[in-house]
Amino acid sequence: MTTYSDKIKEISKRLLKEGKVDLVIGFRKGSVPLMNQPMFAKNEGDVDSFVWDSNCGINLANYVTDRSEKIGIVAKGCDSRNLVVHIIENKIKRDQLHIIGVPCKAMVDRHKIAAMMPGEIESIEENEADGTLTVTGSGFSETLNKAGVLQENCALCMHRNPVLYDELIAEEVTEQNPEEVDQYAAVREVENMAPEEKWAYFDSLFSECIRCYACRNACPLCYCPTCFVDESKPQWVGKSVDPADVRTFHFLRAYHCAGRCTDCGACVRSCPVGINVRALTKKLEKDCLENFDWKSGLTLDKRPPLDTFRPDDPEEFIK
Amino acid sequence: MKNLMEHMGLDPGRLHFSWISSAESTKFVDVAKKVTAEVKALESKEKKFVKTKPKVA
Amino acid sequence: MAEKEPKILSFLCNWCSYGAADLAGVSRMEYPSNIRVIRIPCTGRMSVKFILAAFRQGADAVWVSG
Repeated sequence: MTTYSDKIKEISKRLLKEGKVDLVIGFRKGSVPLMNQPMFAKNEGDVDSFVWDSNCGINLANYVTDRSEKIGIVAKGCDSRNLVVHIIENKIKRDQLHIIGVPCKAMVDRHKIAAMMPGEIESIEENEADGTLTVTGSGFSETLNKAGVLQENCALCMHRNPVLYDELIAEEVTEQNPEEVDQYAAVREVENMAPEEKWAYFDSLFSECIRCYACRNACPLCYCPTCFVDESKPQWVGKSVDPADVRTFHFLRAYHCAGRCTDCGACVRSCPVGINVRALTKKLEKDCLENFDWKSGLTLDKRPPLDTFRPDDPEEFIK
Repeated sequence: MKNLMEHMGLDPGRLHFSWISSAESTKFVDVAKKVTAEVKALESKEKKFVKTKPKVA
Repeated sequence: MAEKEPKILSFLCNWCSYGAADLAGVSRMEYPSNIRVIRIPCTGRMSVKFILAAFRQGADAVWVSG
């Protein structure tokens, strides 16, 4: 990954020097291991803190919303899809962006790794040659196989290469074969439950939720000036951790992402208590694919399904 | 919407959509009866489903 | 018996189903009294929030009609 980091630094320096962009958005090492932070580099000196490794799971498209500068942005597959969504939704102009495409080699799941370790993790080293990670903390050091601890959405990802970019930092990686990866196994499992079982499943899924709204803040789609949870006249949803309120929040947030979610996994990654928020968004993604033949963020030329009408839209649910 | 409601375990019979023109009063009455019947059937099947989602003070 | 009756909250479009409901009333047709009507200016005014709010506040079912 050092080659990736070096290349990102090199390109960012060049862009800033030539004055092509006002700032470059990328990642730097986080203050805690496994959590790289977004960083805005406004001059060449800042650029040296840029890194790229397997902990860059946050979606950088989140930070371009409504900005007026010329922006260079480091984008892996899902980030680039979310940039497309942003452009379609007029949240940023295409010519404001200089997209530095990163063929993504998948991110690791910090919750999974944390659960495997006996104590607090202090550092993580990546060995790209043999695909292993060495996790160390006070009194322990373990070597893991990276493939075993990928984020679930990365393991299922079909668009590791950016769909929209101005330059790539490396050769494209090979995409997974859609026939070999069962995208919706988890969704189907829930679909096959009886209503009571489903209710109970989501009750236990959300029982940990502390309503910190990290999932909302990390999500590139959640850019409403006032989120429905913050509205108070009328107040749609209570602010407590009452199961009904928590459920309403997650339901409506997920629904707002229908036909827009690219399954980048930023919500799950940012969750401090490790809730699999994707249980809802993945279902919507599946529905959009089945009902409207739609995958979000792949092209600039098509309007999203919930914003257009087609005579052949499914309407079995209407009496 | 309806799909996700179902996915979360809300009974599909609790949410209905229809398309009725202002001249179709007979259709309105029909659908109204149908919806009510369907909901009543649910009611007897599994009471208080929605009550698991009460408003908190 | 009285508490057993379900409450069905219906959101009716002013121009379509609300008109139909009005016509049904004028024509003295009978329909179940479980239905509580909220008139909305157009089905386009409908929001998922309304449905969730209805369930939150104890509606047994919601019916959206355009």
